[in-house]
Amino acid sequence: MATKGAIAALPLLALVLTLAGCGDKAADKAKAEAEVTAKAEAASPYPLKPLWGDTHLHTANSSDAFALGARLGPEDALRFARGEAVTSSTGIKAQLERPLDFLVVSDHSDGLGAIKAIYDAPRLMLRDPTLRRWHDMMHEGPAGMQKAAGELITGFANKTLPASMMDPSKNAERTKTIWTDQNAIVERYNEPGKFTSFFGFEYTLMPDGNNLHRIVIMRDGKAQADKVVPFSSTVGTSVDQLWDYMDTYEKTTGGQILAIPHNSNVSNGLMFQLTQTDGKPMTAAYAARRAAHEPVVEITQIKGDSETHPFLSPNDEFAGFGQAGWELGNLSMTQLSTPSMYTGNYVRAALQHGLEIEAKTGVNPYKFGVIGSTDSHTALSTADENNFFGKHAGVEPSATRAMLPQSLGKAGRVGWQYLAGGYAAVWAKANTRAEIFDAMKRREVYASTGPRMTVRLFGGWDFAPADLQGDWVKAGYARGVPMGGDLKPAGKAGAPTFIVSALKDPIGANLDRVQIVKGWIDAKGATHEQVYDVVWSTPATRKPGANGKLPPVGDTVDLKTATYTNSIGAPTLQTVWTDPAFDPAQKAFYYVRVLEIPTPRWVAYDIVRYKAKVGPEVQLKSQERAYSAPIWYDPKA
Amino acid sequence: MTIADRARGWLREPLLHFALIGLAIFALYGWRNPVDDDSRTITVTAPRVEALAANWAEAWQRPPTPAEIDALIRDDIKDEIYYREAVRLGLARDDDVVRKRMRNSMEFIATSQAEARAPTDAELQAWMDKDPARYRLPALLSFDQVYLGGARDGAAALTAKLRAGADPAMLGEHGTLPTSMDGADAEAIGSSFGDGFADAVAVLPVGQWSGPVESGLGWHLVRLRKVTPGQTPTLAMVRQRVENDWRADNRRRAEAAAYQALLDGYKIKIEKPGS
Repeated sequence: MATKGAIAALPLLALVLTLAGCGDKAADKAKAEAEVTAKAEAASPYPLKPLWGDTHLHTANSSDAFALGARLGPEDALRFARGEAVTSSTGIKAQLERPLDFLVVSDHSDGLGAIKAIYDAPRLMLRDPTLRRWHDMMHEGPAGMQKAAGELITGFANKTLPASMMDPSKNAERTKTIWTDQNAIVERYNEPGKFTSFFGFEYTLMPDGNNLHRIVIMRDGKAQADKVVPFSSTVGTSVDQLWDYMDTYEKTTGGQILAIPHNSNVSNGLMFQLTQTDGKPMTAAYAARRAAHEPVVEITQIKGDSETHPFLSPNDEFAGFGQAGWELGNLSMTQLSTPSMYTGNYVRAALQHGLEIEAKTGVNPYKFGVIGSTDSHTALSTADENNFFGKHAGVEPSATRAMLPQSLGKAGRVGWQYLAGGYAAVWAKANTRAEIFDAMKRREVYASTGPRMTVRLFGGWDFAPADLQGDWVKAGYARGVPMGGDLKPAGKAGAPTFIVSALKDPIGANLDRVQIVKGWIDAKGATHEQVYDVVWSTPATRKPGANGKLPPVGDTVDLKTATYTNSIGAPTLQTVWTDPAFDPAQKAFYYVRVLEIPTPRWVAYDIVRYKAKVGPEVQLKSQERAYSAPIWYDPKA
Repeated sequence: MTIADRARGWLREPLLHFALIGLAIFALYGWRNPVDDDSRTITVTAPRVEALAANWAEAWQRPPTPAEIDALIRDDIKDEIYYREAVRLGLARDDDVVRKRMRNSMEFIATSQAEARAPTDAELQAWMDKDPARYRLPALLSFDQVYLGGARDGAAALTAKLRAGADPAMLGEHGTLPTSMDGADAEAIGSSFGDGFADAVAVLPVGQWSGPVESGLGWHLVRLRKVTPGQTPTLAMVRQRVENDWRADNRRRAEAAAYQALLDGYKIKIEKPGS
């Protein structure tokens, strides 16, 4: 009898705890958010400084992260991003040099918390022999854990997971609990004006190991987020179904939601196709649907950079950044990549193909802004080279991590090929969910590979160098459009003009140069690209050579100490640039790329700190960079 | 008083917490193994048979036949007998995997209830009083600045212009940085200007243009307008942060306390090799 009574008390316990969570807190939060926004609006009609965040972070609730050793959950992730010191999964003290302004804890929706559940479960409860074997392997130690993780990720890619993990209703039930528990924590750390924590998750679509992953972010509060369950790629096996889910979310909650594709570089051509996902020619309706649901793309992160590839951009001497290893094949390395796939893998080509599809259908499906993020699986958003905690808990700081094989499936990728990851910069007027989300919707965002550079871009028809003497930010908004926008219709004949400004990270390296990347489509429908150096440091002594290329900025990196000096480069670069080859009949886009002077990569710090031994092939320096969202020109506008 | 209010009232009653948590742990774990491992009697209870059948149904997606249930029961008895004999022989003790799994289960029980517990105001106040420096509201600065870039040439001439009333928003490398900051703490100032800038500005004379002051970006002329000294907040002013800290710590404490309670029941002797 006592047993039955105790079991009967459980729902009561759950009910009591649920009730305790309600009340006036939601109303207080909404009020606080409105006040913060009103205050910011009163101070300035446009954003005064960018907000920095990570839209892509995994914790122990992501099955692969947990299996690879992550023990830090959403609360640790939020505390860390907020600037607190935490102890990493492998026992190392971790803290950011500077806090972030916002964070999306974006755990994989597939089997959210499942591996943790398998690990924690009393063994008796695991009837499936595979799950039981994984449970045993995980408890054997780190090697067993890694092996279980490898099997899990391969099983997921090949759709050979145990039936009990693929059962949608069981997964939904388990996911719901973990999701609402996690949401309670996310809500507790959302502090309008100070720090924003979003509700979100990762939709991990991966046909044949080709990466079609999306981060999904909600604009709204806990009440709306709790009404849904993160959408799983075992339920929705095409991105169209994700968009259906998003539509349903907006309809049933009255909220707003957006998706951010990432790692197009390991999609083997599938992320930015010229066709619909079903292989049919793209229709206007389809193109519009994609653009509306996916206004932003993650262009750079730990698993490589997706701006462009030297094969696609042979005249761009900075195109090879973050390609080593990642260019070889799809995410699972079950299929190698061929150059014919690259146009679907990289953002610059996608922006060009967007114009091509627009010329045919009237709608541009690939009209998006770009951001960087980490995709860290350690619950630690560490994009700084001198404080990189690794892709997953198995490669937290150590003497050996740079040379550890990191491929799932076939050999090929090695630890040092991870980038330290990027961050997202958002031109939002206030640090609130609504303001940051709305800035993403209007694409007023940019990507950084880690350093917090300030980048402004305005496009218009009558900007002149004299504008820089006056209030050019105000003029930029009044007479032009900011990054992410469409050039207003030309009032008179002439080429578009751009105000470009870049400021170094206040605690980082100087700037080498600012470039504008132009892409366009000609009358025959062929796409083109051109990279212009528009302003650079020490212009008195650095002149473009006969080939039109600027001499390199130099290199102050000392590998013995993993340091550099700001004796070269410039802290700030500004100019007004006019397109010298403008054809008013051609659709075009323009985005900014800012390059820092060379600095040590995280591997160089490992060599100094841990006496790491690395091979001669390992890259020890790089020129970190920022990419702005484009501004588009359409002759029909 | 609504039901929700009443429930919140109950939740502030610590005794109720212990009762509920005890009940929950008992419900989760107590029913599964109510027998003494040393006993020579095995009773396969009706709930146990139901659980075996349910697990079977989950794997096979249909209920077991009576013959299959009998087989499950026979197998369960075999498991139980081997388990008890293995425990008697001390095999569990020599198996690191088993030991680790047991520890994991115990830690899970200790911490799973921690998140649910809501702190009282008194608890939060006490928490805050333990480390007042952490919650002290930082000094706030309001200032205007003109960014000169990497070099400070011409600083004197610009200072003179500013003192004569020139618009700071139109001078220097303007537009790249906020011209004014109002009521900003060191963290907010640091995110735009780098470390140390707030400290350098805080000591400037109030109400007049001075400098140049160095930041992580180069040089600035600064007019400090107002300094609001740091202050000790009331709980209401910083409740969210205090509660978050308390909750994060509460989970650690729950685990540590559970372990300590067990540890207290042991006498530990360590014999290091060679000693």
